[in-house]
Amino acid sequence: MQNRYSFKRRLPYLLLAPSIIILLALILYPLGFALRNSFWFWNLQTSAVPLYHSGLDNYRMVFQVTPFTEALKNTLLLAGLGTLAQFWLGMGVALLLHTHLRGLGFCRALLIMPTTLAPVVAGFLFRYLLEPKGGLLPWLLEGIGFPLPPQGILGYAGSALFAIGMVDTWQWTPFFAIVLYAGLLSISEEVKEAAQVDGASPWRMFWSITLPLLRPIAAFLVMIRFMQLFNSFDLVFVLTGGGPGASSRTLSFNLYREGLVNYNIGLTAAMTWLVVIIVTVIINLYIIFIFRKREW
Amino acid sequence: MSKKNLSRRDFLRMSGTAGAAVAGGLSPLANLSRVAAQSDNTINVLTVGDPWDLALQSVVDQFTEATGIGVNIETLGYTALQARLVNAFLTQSGDADVIAVDQMWISQYADNGWIRSLDDFIAADSDSAIDDFVPECLYSLSTWRNHIWTLPIASYAQGIMYRTDLFEAAGLDPLPATVAEAGDWTWEDYFGILDQINGMDLDGTSMYGTTVIGYQPVPVVHMYTQLSASYGTRWFTQFPEAPWDFTPTINSESNVAALHDWNRLYGWSPPESINYLWFDAGTRFSQGDIGMFYHWTPYFYLVNNEGYLTGTPSPVVDKFETAVLPTQTAGGDQVVSLGGWSLGMPSTSANQDAAWQFIKWATGAEAQKAMGQVNVKGYQFADFSRKSNYDDAGLNALYPFLGTQLEMMKLGDGKVVRPPAPIYTSLEGVYGLQINQAMTGAVTPEQALETTQTLFQNILSGNQMIPYNVDSFDDTLDNTKALIASLSSM
Repeated sequence: MQNRYSFKRRLPYLLLAPSIIILLALILYPLGFALRNSFWFWNLQTSAVPLYHSGLDNYRMVFQVTPFTEALKNTLLLAGLGTLAQFWLGMGVALLLHTHLRGLGFCRALLIMPTTLAPVVAGFLFRYLLEPKGGLLPWLLEGIGFPLPPQGILGYAGSALFAIGMVDTWQWTPFFAIVLYAGLLSISEEVKEAAQVDGASPWRMFWSITLPLLRPIAAFLVMIRFMQLFNSFDLVFVLTGGGPGASSRTLSFNLYREGLVNYNIGLTAAMTWLVVIIVTVIINLYIIFIFRKREW
Repeated sequence: MSKKNLSRRDFLRMSGTAGAAVAGGLSPLANLSRVAAQSDNTINVLTVGDPWDLALQSVVDQFTEATGIGVNIETLGYTALQARLVNAFLTQSGDADVIAVDQMWISQYADNGWIRSLDDFIAADSDSAIDDFVPECLYSLSTWRNHIWTLPIASYAQGIMYRTDLFEAAGLDPLPATVAEAGDWTWEDYFGILDQINGMDLDGTSMYGTTVIGYQPVPVVHMYTQLSASYGTRWFTQFPEAPWDFTPTINSESNVAALHDWNRLYGWSPPESINYLWFDAGTRFSQGDIGMFYHWTPYFYLVNNEGYLTGTPSPVVDKFETAVLPTQTAGGDQVVSLGGWSLGMPSTSANQDAAWQFIKWATGAEAQKAMGQVNVKGYQFADFSRKSNYDDAGLNALYPFLGTQLEMMKLGDGKVVRPPAPIYTSLEGVYGLQINQAMTGAVTPEQALETTQTLFQNILSGNQMIPYNVDSFDDTLDNTKALIASLSSM
């Protein structure tokens, strides 16, 4: 009787164990492997195998030979401002969709299209649209008297990163809009009606009812997009190659250069770990801030 | 007709079988087993998407007809090719018998034992006519530590293209097409011409003096290093001559002067050329608003197209000529950048004899001539590495610039302009970034090169190359000539 009770109690853990073990192996093994490599001198340009234990040299070299701080600054700017812009633009579109105007059903179907494009395709599309000689966007902007840099939007250090953010915003705002629209649909009409009866203005209703009720969805959306933008590579690769100079270089592009162009495995592993630490800290701070006093 | 319900067990069985079949068909392992199952009469060739690849694919049937050996050619982009090769070498899962090798990869591939030396094949096979190669091409593209690892299939030097109609309108003399005609032809003369033609109106088109290739890091390094090498810049204290000393000398006075003049070149270029790749610059010239520029020699024929390899004639056809590069001082020394592609054999190839037959054929004078005569969207292969091809009257009729190209090849030194030392790509990465930074005006040329010097020092020290404790080799052109002579006489 005692044995049967004990087995029953342990059964859930036994059933969960394979998944947990596989999950840990898939997450921990690569991270552990990268951590080990980060302390070894291993450059495929000079040797096919790790040569010797190099202590913290790889971590030092991340700052000495790669534009790491510039890439970190660009990445934070792109991820922070990009997420913010996409959230608020997406919110605006979601509210518009929620008005039940004629033709919005068609717009909803149309909205999803940019999100379905591969970022590389979107990058090539905008590379042509932003072409200084004959590109549609510079032609339109110049037509309305908007001053453009002579090097082109992608060739000017002050606008290259902005252009990447703009293309990403074009592609991912609809994703925010659709998910937030779904969130708006889930808000009870009774709550809104009660607020209206109490004389709340639309502005007040948005800040005191709509936004707080959307908070759980919005918080996850923002977190996911921030992490995706933090890992931006495709658009950077296609649109600017990180240039001019290092003005649009991101951490992922840095990792690509060191890992797949320079083949410095040790250095790339060290950089990977620095990125893991930075992302983990940011996300945990975000979670603490957003979900304080709430279960998630 | 009996109707049988599908049980859950049957469904799972069928799904499993179908899934395994799909996974098996798609997996690299299945690919490998297919390769292993191939007979010795078929070889796999991995090439890169350059113009020579199109020409090669057009004539490869001739090889199969002559030898009975089938050829599967797979073409990849530059980065994808390098990634695929390194991955295959590391996991020893390579399926290629012949590979296209960039000159910068040879030290890495050779030192790691990933490709095998061709010395034995060359020595044992008198048909290889190794002494027919322009020695500078073989030296720059194929040798490392006194062994021949690959054979050149496409060699590129650098030279000038200029608009003859614009020169006529400006009252300028034609530029020298040979070194003998060059006399006192200097970079300062070149800049003077650019200053004169920049902004000129030609048939209603406002002309730019020139265009640069500014995209960082690799494209800008390819173009900039030609100028800096002409100014006498060397990357290291001593390389390729022995003993190797990789202490960087990249912030030398000559290089600072070159970077200042590079910025002058950019000033006469379209502003957007800071973001130009190789073909962007070529295409811009072919579209008609560039007066003169220098580039890799394949552009001597590529600019006949309106776009890259489009086959549509460009507006500058018959309105441009080619010329030799100037020197920094009148009658001074010249060093020309020499690059390109060669064919090598992975150590893992199971069909080494067939692979050698293919390498010998594709880099041979006859196949190279056939590639030059391919007319698909125009004649688009003149990147010969053999002397006999440059002497060929038929090829000279198709490509009238071959004389100028050969003159540039003979001044070529791929080991000085962009030294193929181990970890070259890391150095190129930071160098290109700094040149590009100087173009944006964010830093001065002095600051850019000072930073490059520090980064080179850090990278080279971090990779155990300063001090260099491995054996050096006196990697000179004379030693390559001696190697050619010794292999030819066997």
